[in-house]
Amino acid sequence: MYHVSKAYVAGAFALQDVSLDVSRGEFVFLTGASGAGKTTLLQLLFAAERPSEGQIVVLGRNIARLRGSAVPALRRRVGVVFQDFKLLRQRTVEENVGVTLDVVGMPRREVRAKVFTMLKQVGLQHRRYHHPVSLSGGEQQRVAIARALVGEPEILLADEPTGNLDPDLSVEIMDLMMSAAMRGTAVLVATHDVGLIERYHKRKLHLDAGRLVEDGPAAGRTE
Amino acid sequence: MRRVAVILAILVRSALRGMQSSAVASGIAVATIAIALLLIGAFALVVVNMQGLLDRFGQDLQITAYLEEGLSKAEQSLLAERVSTVEVVGRVRLISKQQALERFRATRGGAALLEGLEGNPLPASLDISLLSERRTPEGLGILNKALDGLPGIAEVAHGQEWIEGYARAASLARVSGYALGAVLALATLLIVSNTIRLGLYAREDELEILALVGASRTFVRAPFLLEGTLQGAIGGVLALGVLWAGFHLLVPQLQYGLAFFLGNTEPRFFAVAESLKLISGGAGLGLLGSLAALMAWRS
Ligand SMILES: Nc1ncnc2c1ncn2[C@@H]1O[C@H](COP(=O)(O)OP(=O)(O)O)[C@@H](O)[C@H]1O
Ligand SMILES: [Mg+2]
Repeated sequence: MYHVSKAYVAGAFALQDVSLDVSRGEFVFLTGASGAGKTTLLQLLFAAERPSEGQIVVLGRNIARLRGSAVPALRRRVGVVFQDFKLLRQRTVEENVGVTLDVVGMPRREVRAKVFTMLKQVGLQHRRYHHPVSLSGGEQQRVAIARALVGEPEILLADEPTGNLDPDLSVEIMDLMMSAAMRGTAVLVATHDVGLIERYHKRKLHLDAGRLVEDGPAAGRTE
Repeated sequence: MRRVAVILAILVRSALRGMQSSAVASGIAVATIAIALLLIGAFALVVVNMQGLLDRFGQDLQITAYLEEGLSKAEQSLLAERVSTVEVVGRVRLISKQQALERFRATRGGAALLEGLEGNPLPASLDISLLSERRTPEGLGILNKALDGLPGIAEVAHGQEWIEGYARAASLARVSGYALGAVLALATLLIVSNTIRLGLYAREDELEILALVGASRTFVRAPFLLEGTLQGAIGGVLALGVLWAGFHLLVPQLQYGLAFFLGNTEPRFFAVAESLKLISGGAGLGLLGSLAALMAWRS
């Protein structure tokens, strides 16, 4: 990300002149107060929003200049945990997690097997035929995480993924994301949970009113 | 290939789910298509049967041109010669007064009628048959015109004078069928595209989420095209079913009325190919309607 700015409304910058570089297998916290621009930064990375200024290279592609038809292919390589989960209300938990694999045309049996394994990892295998509305906030959050991870993405973007989880579960979910990083996935976790950040000594990007004010302490390269 | 089949299965399932989730709207769309196709189909059925009669009418078409009295043998032969040069004419046979008399005598009761008559009251005539591909009301018209201009011909008879009026009625039915069809097709398109558009709005969140997890435009949109097409095809099948039932219930009741229109030809229902046309017409309308909805919808 090079000198990236984003203004939803002309003149009002949600992000201003942010430059950063994240490598494969790296685990990075994105911190900052509410409204600092965390969600905006993540959205730029999977082409949900376009930068107003600057260049963004993700998996070798320049997002600022990406054709609309190339967006789906990029998103299949990026897993996203949305702050508001964005689950399909009409579908079961199993189907919700499975869509990630459906869109690439994976055969149904394979999808079911992978989804089952994934649901077991987030402790929801017994809920697979339930609908999201009948789940608690924390359970929905875990479904969202399962959906993001089941496709073994090269990049994982998680927006407040532990916001609705009690501490024990938070640790489990964090471990899940850590092991994804260990397998080579670049993981970006937006959070304002200070306790969480302190427990894991990882690189931390701190945003304040749209500006990147801190990048450290772990071995991160900055540009 | 495998992948395509997998994705196709997903899209079909998604289309069915879409119809299920908006069952009432889908039902209304299907019913509308069925009614439109029912009306179009009923018209087509009438036209098909009238056309069938017109096609058959030529087969036993026999034109007789009676010659004026007092023509010499040579003049009669010349007339036969000239008639045979008319473009629509296949064969011309000259029937002399003597042959006409013998023919008449051979008919039932003919001999008795001729009894007591002096001389031969029957005129000489030309028996004319048209080339098989010209045995149409138009071909007949051309022949009549040619015969009109020939001196020496007293009268022309083909015993099927009604045929031209009938052909006109058939083409009127066909034209009004097309007009009605166009209007109904348009109305159907509007209804289908409206139904699909409502479905699109109702599922907007879902579609957005699919796009966010990497679904292609086709993956997101194809189920709606399938849904429209399926609604159209179901409507077509329903229309065909009702037409078929109606045909078999009404035809025996209307025997006499139908005889008036069709003579002694048996009324027939659509052939398989024609039935398939009606169904695929419905499917096509559904596809177009959903295409229109998708084009109007952007996300
Ligand atoms: N879709 C949007 N339209 C207009 N303004 C937005 C939109 N999304 C976010 N913003 C604004 O951008 C700023 C950063 O928001 P956000 O990225 O959501 O911060 P965070 O996730 O750190 O809380 C805020 O001032 C917010 O009001
Ligand atoms: Mg946010």
